[in-house]
Amino acid sequence: MEARISETAISQLRRGVLEFCVLALLRDGERYSYELVRALGDADGLVTTEGTLYPLLGRLRREGVVDTTWRESPSGPPRRYYRLTPDGQAALGGFVIEWTRFRDSVDALLGNGVLR
Amino acid sequence: MTTDTLHPLAAEYLARLRRAGRGLPPGRRRELLAEIEAHLSEAIDPSASDAQALTVLDKLGDPEAIIAAETPRLDELPAPRGTREWVAIGLLLFGGFIFVLGWFVGLILLWSSRAWTTRDKWIGTLVIPGGLASSVVIGLIAIGAPTKKICHAFNGGGQHCTNAAGQSTPSSILGVVVFALLVLAPIGTSIYLARRAA
Repeated sequence: MEARISETAISQLRRGVLEFCVLALLRDGERYSYELVRALGDADGLVTTEGTLYPLLGRLRREGVVDTTWRESPSGPPRRYYRLTPDGQAALGGFVIEWTRFRDSVDALLGNGVLR
Repeated sequence: MTTDTLHPLAAEYLARLRRAGRGLPPGRRRELLAEIEAHLSEAIDPSASDAQALTVLDKLGDPEAIIAAETPRLDELPAPRGTREWVAIGLLLFGGFIFVLGWFVGLILLWSSRAWTTRDKWIGTLVIPGGLASSVVIGLIAIGAPTKKICHAFNGGGQHCTNAAGQSTPSSILGVVVFALLVLAPIGTSIYLARRAA
Protein backbone atom coordinates (compact mmCIF):
# COMPACT_ATOMS: atom_id res chain seq x y z
CA MET A 1 0.00 0.00 0.00
CA GLU A 2 2.71 2.49 0.97
CA ALA A 3 4.69 1.54 -2.12
CA ARG A 4 1.68 2.26 -4.31
CA ILE A 5 1.14 5.69 -2.79
CA SER A 6 4.71 6.77 -3.43
CA GLU A 7 4.45 5.35 -6.96
CA THR A 8 1.50 7.60 -7.88
CA ALA A 9 3.24 10.54 -6.22
CA ILE A 10 6.36 9.95 -8.30
CA SER A 11 4.42 9.52 -11.54
CA GLN A 12 2.56 12.77 -10.85
CA LEU A 13 5.85 14.52 -10.17
CA ARG A 14 7.25 13.19 -13.44
CA ARG A 15 4.21 14.33 -15.36
CA GLY A 16 4.45 17.82 -13.93
CA VAL A 17 8.17 18.19 -14.63
CA LEU A 18 8.49 16.46 -18.02
CA GLU A 19 7.17 19.28 -20.17
CA PHE A 20 9.81 21.62 -18.76
CA CYS A 21 12.48 19.02 -19.49
CA VAL A 22 11.32 19.13 -23.12
CA LEU A 23 11.58 22.91 -23.11
CA ALA A 24 15.03 22.71 -21.50
CA LEU A 25 16.24 20.32 -24.22
CA LEU A 26 15.24 22.93 -26.80
CA ARG A 27 17.03 25.80 -25.07
CA ASP A 28 20.14 25.48 -27.22
CA GLY A 29 18.33 25.08 -30.52
CA GLU A 30 15.86 22.92 -32.40
CA ARG A 31 15.65 19.14 -32.24
CA TYR A 32 13.40 16.64 -33.95
CA SER A 33 10.88 14.42 -32.15
CA TYR A 34 12.89 11.22 -32.07
CA GLU A 35 15.96 13.04 -30.67
CA LEU A 36 13.83 14.60 -27.93
CA VAL A 37 12.16 11.34 -27.03
CA ARG A 38 15.46 9.44 -26.91
CA ALA A 39 17.14 12.13 -24.81
CA LEU A 40 14.30 12.00 -22.27
CA GLY A 41 14.09 8.19 -22.44
CA ASP A 42 17.79 7.84 -21.74
CA ALA A 43 17.66 10.06 -18.64
CA ASP A 44 17.51 7.82 -15.58
CA GLY A 45 14.13 7.54 -13.86
CA LEU A 46 12.43 10.28 -15.89
CA VAL A 47 10.28 8.39 -18.42
CA THR A 48 8.71 4.94 -18.15
CA THR A 49 7.05 4.76 -21.58
CA GLU A 50 8.60 6.77 -24.41
CA GLY A 51 5.43 6.59 -26.51
CA THR A 52 3.44 8.77 -24.11
CA LEU A 53 5.89 11.62 -24.80
CA TYR A 54 4.35 12.15 -28.24
CA PRO A 55 0.97 13.21 -26.81
CA LEU A 56 2.94 15.54 -24.51
CA LEU A 57 4.71 17.09 -27.51
CA GLY A 58 1.33 17.59 -29.16
CA ARG A 59 0.02 19.41 -26.10
CA LEU A 60 3.05 21.71 -26.03
CA ARG A 61 2.39 22.58 -29.68
CA ARG A 62 -1.23 23.41 -28.95
CA GLU A 63 -0.21 25.49 -25.94
CA GLY A 64 2.10 27.49 -28.19
CA VAL A 65 5.28 26.99 -26.15
CA VAL A 66 6.94 25.18 -29.07
CA ASP A 67 6.80 25.60 -32.85
CA THR A 68 7.40 22.81 -35.35
CA THR A 69 8.44 22.30 -38.97
CA TRP A 70 8.62 19.09 -40.95
CA ARG A 71 11.84 18.60 -42.89
CA GLU A 72 13.15 15.83 -45.12
CA SER A 73 15.77 13.64 -43.51
CA PRO A 74 18.87 12.36 -45.32
CA SER A 75 17.64 8.85 -44.56
CA GLY A 76 14.12 7.63 -43.91
CA PRO A 77 10.86 9.53 -43.27
CA PRO A 78 10.57 13.33 -42.80
CA ARG A 79 11.33 14.68 -39.34
CA ARG A 80 9.37 17.09 -37.22
CA TYR A 81 11.67 19.73 -35.74
CA TYR A 82 10.73 21.51 -32.51
CA ARG A 83 11.92 24.89 -31.28
CA LEU A 84 11.02 27.16 -28.37
CA THR A 85 8.66 30.09 -28.89
CA PRO A 86 9.04 33.27 -26.81
CA ASP A 87 6.20 31.92 -24.63
CA GLY A 88 8.13 28.70 -24.17
CA GLN A 89 11.27 30.57 -23.21
CA ALA A 90 9.35 32.56 -20.59
CA ALA A 91 7.71 29.39 -19.22
CA LEU A 92 11.07 27.67 -18.93
CA GLY A 93 12.68 30.69 -17.23
CA GLY A 94 9.87 30.79 -14.65
CA PHE A 95 10.08 27.08 -14.01
CA VAL A 96 13.86 27.13 -13.47
CA ILE A 97 13.47 29.68 -10.65
CA GLU A 98 10.56 27.83 -9.02
CA TRP A 99 12.20 24.44 -9.38
CA THR A 100 15.42 25.59 -7.71
CA ARG A 101 13.48 26.85 -4.70
CA PHE A 102 11.33 23.72 -4.58
CA ARG A 103 14.27 21.35 -4.89
CA ASP A 104 16.32 23.13 -2.23
CA SER A 105 13.42 23.13 0.23
CA VAL A 106 12.58 19.47 -0.33
CA ASP A 107 16.24 18.49 -0.11
CA ALA A 108 16.60 20.40 3.14
CA LEU A 109 13.50 18.77 4.64
CA LEU A 110 14.42 15.28 3.47
CA GLY A 111 17.97 15.80 4.79
CA ASN A 112 16.62 16.73 8.23
CA GLY A 113 14.35 13.70 8.19
CA VAL A 114 17.31 11.40 7.52
CA LEU A 115 19.43 12.99 10.28
CA ARG A 116 16.74 12.35 12.87
CA MET B 1 6.63 6.77 -45.97
CA THR B 2 4.89 3.41 -46.08
CA THR B 3 4.64 0.53 -43.70
CA ASP B 4 6.57 -1.61 -46.21
CA THR B 5 9.78 -0.09 -44.88
CA LEU B 6 8.91 -1.07 -41.30
CA HIS B 7 9.98 -4.15 -39.40
CA PRO B 8 7.02 -6.60 -39.33
CA LEU B 9 6.66 -6.25 -35.56
CA ALA B 10 6.75 -2.45 -35.87
CA ALA B 11 4.05 -2.58 -38.57
CA GLU B 12 1.93 -4.75 -36.28
CA TYR B 13 2.43 -2.30 -33.43
CA LEU B 14 1.40 0.61 -35.65
CA ALA B 15 -1.74 -1.24 -36.76
CA ARG B 16 -2.65 -1.81 -33.09
CA LEU B 17 -2.11 1.87 -32.37
CA ARG B 18 -4.28 2.83 -35.35
CA ARG B 19 -7.11 0.62 -34.07
CA ALA B 20 -6.82 1.86 -30.49
CA GLY B 21 -6.93 5.48 -31.68
CA ARG B 22 -10.28 5.27 -33.47
CA GLY B 23 -11.97 7.43 -30.84
CA LEU B 24 -9.51 10.33 -31.15
CA PRO B 25 -10.22 13.54 -33.08
CA PRO B 26 -9.03 12.75 -36.67
CA GLY B 27 -6.35 15.46 -36.79
CA ARG B 28 -4.73 14.38 -33.55
CA ARG B 29 -4.88 10.73 -34.52
CA ARG B 30 -3.14 11.45 -37.83
CA GLU B 31 -0.37 13.52 -36.20
CA LEU B 32 0.23 10.95 -33.50
CA LEU B 33 0.42 8.08 -35.99
CA ALA B 34 2.86 10.07 -38.18
CA GLU B 35 5.14 10.72 -35.20
CA ILE B 36 5.09 7.14 -33.93
CA GLU B 37 5.65 5.79 -37.44
CA ALA B 38 8.69 8.06 -37.82
CA HIS B 39 9.93 6.84 -34.43
CA LEU B 40 9.50 3.20 -35.42
CA SER B 41 11.25 3.53 -38.76
CA GLU B 42 14.15 5.35 -37.12
CA ALA B 43 14.51 3.08 -34.09
CA ILE B 44 14.02 -0.32 -35.73
CA ASP B 45 15.90 -1.33 -38.84
CA PRO B 46 13.70 -3.50 -41.09
CA SER B 47 16.38 -6.21 -40.94
CA ALA B 48 16.72 -6.08 -37.13
CA SER B 49 16.11 -9.21 -35.08
CA ASP B 50 12.75 -9.69 -33.39
CA ALA B 51 14.45 -9.35 -30.00
CA GLN B 52 15.87 -5.93 -30.96
CA ALA B 53 12.48 -4.82 -32.28
CA LEU B 54 10.69 -5.97 -29.12
CA THR B 55 13.15 -4.06 -26.94
CA VAL B 56 12.30 -0.81 -28.75
CA LEU B 57 8.56 -1.55 -28.63
CA ASP B 58 8.73 -2.28 -24.88
CA LYS B 59 10.33 1.10 -24.29
CA LEU B 60 7.65 2.76 -26.37
CA GLY B 61 4.90 1.27 -24.19
CA ASP B 62 1.41 -0.09 -24.88
CA PRO B 63 -0.41 1.52 -27.83
CA GLU B 64 -3.44 1.79 -25.54
CA ALA B 65 -1.42 3.78 -22.97
CA ILE B 66 -0.26 6.19 -25.69
CA ILE B 67 -3.84 6.68 -26.88
CA ALA B 68 -4.98 7.26 -23.30
CA ALA B 69 -2.31 9.98 -22.96
CA GLU B 70 -3.50 11.58 -26.21
CA THR B 71 -7.20 11.56 -25.26
CA PRO B 72 -8.27 15.18 -24.61
CA ARG B 73 -8.38 16.05 -20.95
CA LEU B 74 -11.42 17.71 -19.40
CA ASP B 75 -9.81 21.15 -19.32
CA GLU B 76 -9.05 20.96 -23.05
CA LEU B 77 -12.64 20.32 -24.12
CA PRO B 78 -14.75 23.24 -25.39
CA ALA B 79 -16.63 25.27 -22.79
CA PRO B 80 -18.99 22.88 -20.95
CA ARG B 81 -22.50 23.85 -19.93
CA GLY B 82 -22.38 26.26 -17.05
CA THR B 83 -24.91 28.05 -14.89
CA ARG B 84 -25.91 30.32 -17.82
CA GLU B 85 -26.84 27.34 -19.97
CA TRP B 86 -28.91 25.72 -17.21
CA VAL B 87 -30.73 29.01 -16.60
CA ALA B 88 -31.38 29.35 -20.35
CA ILE B 89 -32.85 25.83 -20.54
CA GLY B 90 -34.95 26.42 -17.40
CA LEU B 91 -36.33 29.73 -18.65
CA LEU B 92 -37.11 28.40 -22.13
CA LEU B 93 -39.15 25.64 -20.49
CA PHE B 94 -40.87 27.49 -17.62
CA GLY B 95 -40.15 31.17 -18.37
CA GLY B 96 -43.49 31.56 -20.18
CA PHE B 97 -45.24 31.36 -16.80
CA ILE B 98 -43.24 34.38 -15.60
CA PHE B 99 -45.39 36.89 -17.53
CA VAL B 100 -44.00 35.41 -20.81
CA LEU B 101 -41.02 37.71 -20.22
CA GLY B 102 -39.02 34.86 -18.63
CA TRP B 103 -39.07 32.97 -21.91
CA PHE B 104 -37.58 35.93 -23.78
CA VAL B 105 -34.78 36.18 -21.21
CA GLY B 106 -34.14 32.46 -21.80
CA LEU B 107 -34.06 33.16 -25.53
CA ILE B 108 -31.41 35.87 -25.11
CA LEU B 109 -29.29 33.51 -22.96
CA LEU B 110 -29.72 30.74 -25.54
CA TRP B 111 -28.53 32.86 -28.46
CA SER B 112 -25.64 34.47 -26.55
CA SER B 113 -24.22 31.12 -25.38
CA ARG B 114 -21.32 29.49 -27.20
CA ALA B 115 -22.33 26.02 -26.00
CA TRP B 116 -24.81 25.51 -28.85
CA THR B 117 -24.69 25.57 -32.65
CA THR B 118 -27.02 27.82 -34.64
CA ARG B 119 -29.14 24.77 -35.48
CA ASP B 120 -29.51 23.92 -31.77
CA LYS B 121 -30.52 27.51 -31.10
CA TRP B 122 -33.25 27.44 -33.75
CA ILE B 123 -34.62 24.20 -32.30
CA GLY B 124 -34.57 25.80 -28.84
CA THR B 125 -36.41 28.84 -30.23
CA LEU B 126 -39.06 27.14 -32.36
CA VAL B 127 -39.97 24.07 -30.25
CA ILE B 128 -42.07 25.59 -28.72
CA PRO B 129 -42.08 29.43 -28.51
CA GLY B 130 -43.17 30.22 -24.97
CA GLY B 131 -42.26 26.75 -23.69
CA LEU B 132 -44.62 24.85 -21.41
CA ALA B 133 -46.83 27.90 -20.87
CA SER B 134 -47.76 27.87 -24.58
CA SER B 135 -48.36 24.12 -24.46
CA VAL B 136 -50.74 24.49 -21.54
CA VAL B 137 -52.67 27.36 -23.13
CA ILE B 138 -52.93 25.69 -26.55
CA GLY B 139 -53.70 22.31 -24.95
CA LEU B 140 -56.51 23.72 -22.79
CA ILE B 141 -58.06 25.38 -25.83
CA ALA B 142 -57.83 22.13 -27.79
CA ILE B 143 -59.55 20.13 -25.04
CA GLY B 144 -61.94 22.84 -23.95
CA ALA B 145 -63.22 24.12 -27.30
CA PRO B 146 -65.35 21.18 -28.51
CA THR B 147 -66.99 20.74 -25.09
CA LYS B 148 -67.94 24.37 -24.98
CA LYS B 149 -69.34 24.32 -28.47
CA ILE B 150 -71.54 21.35 -27.74
CA CYS B 151 -72.56 22.89 -24.45
CA HIS B 152 -73.80 25.90 -26.31
CA ALA B 153 -75.51 23.77 -28.92
CA PHE B 154 -77.47 22.05 -26.17
CA ASN B 155 -78.21 25.46 -24.85
CA GLY B 156 -77.30 24.84 -21.41
CA GLY B 157 -77.06 23.59 -17.94
CA GLY B 158 -74.66 21.31 -16.08
CA GLN B 159 -76.26 17.96 -17.00
CA HIS B 160 -76.46 18.75 -20.69
CA CYS B 161 -72.85 19.64 -20.66
CA THR B 162 -71.77 16.30 -19.11
CA ASN B 163 -73.73 14.41 -21.73
CA ALA B 164 -72.30 16.56 -24.45
CA ALA B 165 -68.77 15.89 -23.21
CA GLY B 166 -69.53 12.17 -23.30
CA GLN B 167 -70.63 12.40 -26.89
CA SER B 168 -67.58 14.31 -27.97
CA THR B 169 -65.17 11.66 -26.60
CA PRO B 170 -63.21 11.14 -29.85
CA SER B 171 -62.30 14.81 -30.12
CA SER B 172 -61.47 14.84 -26.37
CA ILE B 173 -59.02 12.00 -26.85
CA LEU B 174 -57.52 13.86 -29.78
CA GLY B 175 -57.27 16.91 -27.55
CA VAL B 176 -55.47 14.96 -24.85
CA VAL B 177 -53.02 13.53 -27.39
CA VAL B 178 -52.32 17.00 -28.81
CA PHE B 179 -51.94 18.30 -25.26
CA ALA B 180 -49.48 15.51 -24.36
CA LEU B 181 -47.43 16.17 -27.51
CA LEU B 182 -47.41 19.89 -26.79
CA VAL B 183 -46.13 19.24 -23.27
CA LEU B 184 -43.56 16.64 -24.33
CA ALA B 185 -42.12 18.71 -27.20
CA PRO B 186 -40.58 21.50 -25.09
CA ILE B 187 -39.39 18.96 -22.49
CA GLY B 188 -37.71 17.01 -25.30
CA THR B 189 -36.10 20.23 -26.54
CA SER B 190 -34.75 20.91 -23.03
CA ILE B 191 -33.21 17.45 -22.80
CA TYR B 192 -31.74 17.88 -26.29
CA LEU B 193 -30.23 21.26 -25.41
CA ALA B 194 -28.82 19.94 -22.13
CA ARG B 195 -27.13 17.08 -23.97
CA ARG B 196 -25.79 19.23 -26.80
CA ALA B 197 -24.23 21.62 -24.33
CA ALA B 198 -22.58 18.83 -22.33
